[in-house]
Amino acid sequence: MAEHNPYVDDLSRGIIRENPVFRLLLGMCPVLGVTAYFINGLGMGLATTAVVIASNVVIASLKNYIPAQVRIPCFIVVIATFVTMVEMVLQAFQPALYEALGVFVPLIVVNCVILGRAEAFASKKPVLRSLVDGVGVGIGFTLALGILALVREVAGQGTIMGPDPESAILLFGEGFEPMGLFGQPPGAFIALGLLLGLANVLFKKLNI
Amino acid sequence: MHNILRLSVTLAAVAIISAALLTGMHNITEPVIREKEQREYLEALERFFPDINEYETREIEGDQFDLVYDQDGEKLGIMATVKTQGYEGTITYNLAVDTDTEIIGIRVISHSETPGIGDVITTDDFQEQFIGKSFEDPIQEGEDVDAVSGATMSTGSMINSIRRTVITIGENILDMERKAFALEGLADGVYRGSVEGTYGPLTVEVELSDGRIQNIEVIEHNETEAYFVDAYPEIPEKIIEEQSLEVDVQTGATLSAERIITAVINALEDAPESGSGGGDN
Repeated sequence: MAEHNPYVDDLSRGIIRENPVFRLLLGMCPVLGVTAYFINGLGMGLATTAVVIASNVVIASLKNYIPAQVRIPCFIVVIATFVTMVEMVLQAFQPALYEALGVFVPLIVVNCVILGRAEAFASKKPVLRSLVDGVGVGIGFTLALGILALVREVAGQGTIMGPDPESAILLFGEGFEPMGLFGQPPGAFIALGLLLGLANVLFKKLNI
Repeated sequence: MHNILRLSVTLAAVAIISAALLTGMHNITEPVIREKEQREYLEALERFFPDINEYETREIEGDQFDLVYDQDGEKLGIMATVKTQGYEGTITYNLAVDTDTEIIGIRVISHSETPGIGDVITTDDFQEQFIGKSFEDPIQEGEDVDAVSGATMSTGSMINSIRRTVITIGENILDMERKAFALEGLADGVYRGSVEGTYGPLTVEVELSDGRIQNIEVIEHNETEAYFVDAYPEIPEKIIEEQSLEVDVQTGATLSAERIITAVINALEDAPESGSGGGDN
């Protein structure tokens, strides 16, 4: 195509062609760890999105001032700063989510999706394109976590919008006995495997 | 040389800006977090003690105890904030008791037990069995309260912690004394007692003569061997040495140790009073 818009490309790359979970299998720790409930998966996805956007923008704007030899420590400090800020905000304004995500919030620092985007994209490209890239990767990550968490919650708990009993919707009535396995860590592997298979079939069919 | 300086300055600048940003954010969120914790705490106090007017906080062995008073200065009860080791992490909970150490309510504040298994500790079904229990009750798994099968680690840990907390409140705050088991006046003989453990019964044989425990033998048990060796024969030796059932059970095998003690108590409860002809000598 002659009139190729780089921004559209940057946005869609993170969502589909290089989806961090379904295509690159990056950042698997929160993917497996917090997806027992849809709300937790979505919350983790949004927290990671906030961090990847902010760190992409800051790193892209600082790239000319940071010597190559110390770029990794600088990137990590930038990422850690944003993660800590997100952690404080969650603790203050979303305590239930903060409690549910637990150690996985500080672990966003070492989520390789974020350092990966900083190193592979933001440190080489202009600020605006890095911003769009961060948004795309964030959406892709959130989408993947949301889908996995939805599957696991429906199968493992028989609810949506749990675990808070006030917002939880029982899908199959009171007497339903859910497949507890999907709520457990081994169930996360099984559900992720099934979804990856499905995604591969789908991507092949659509020729992406 | 020039290069090293540039690297250091860049790193230092990034770190300083980061620290400044975080300090700012901390100053914004800290009061909100504190206030929320405080509010939830007060709500818990009010739920357990609707007539609360003021409270006084004491700390004993790292746990927090709030003595609650009504507007006439009359003591209503105590709410303890306790941390205990669960199956996967620390369980923090509130335990509210009245002035006779009778349990009014339990509220689990935070835990990381297995979803769908260990988190039964937060359910009413599990918590309600403690209501009304007090200092005088054994609060022992299998005796007056039940662990939940499939979640024995989480529920057992809660049961033991609740018992210890009630005892701490009774002894340290309300100055109550646990009925010491009187060995004097029991007839000589060999007595058997058992207690139900996690995997089956534990039975002891206690030999009593001259109002003293001479020997304790565990004749049957289904404890985990790796833990049991820490409790036996250490605990029977301590009981014999101190001639008391109030021995320290900090062995690394608390559950087994407590079961041995309970079994010994059960054995001695069967012992008849010695005949009145014995005289004082």
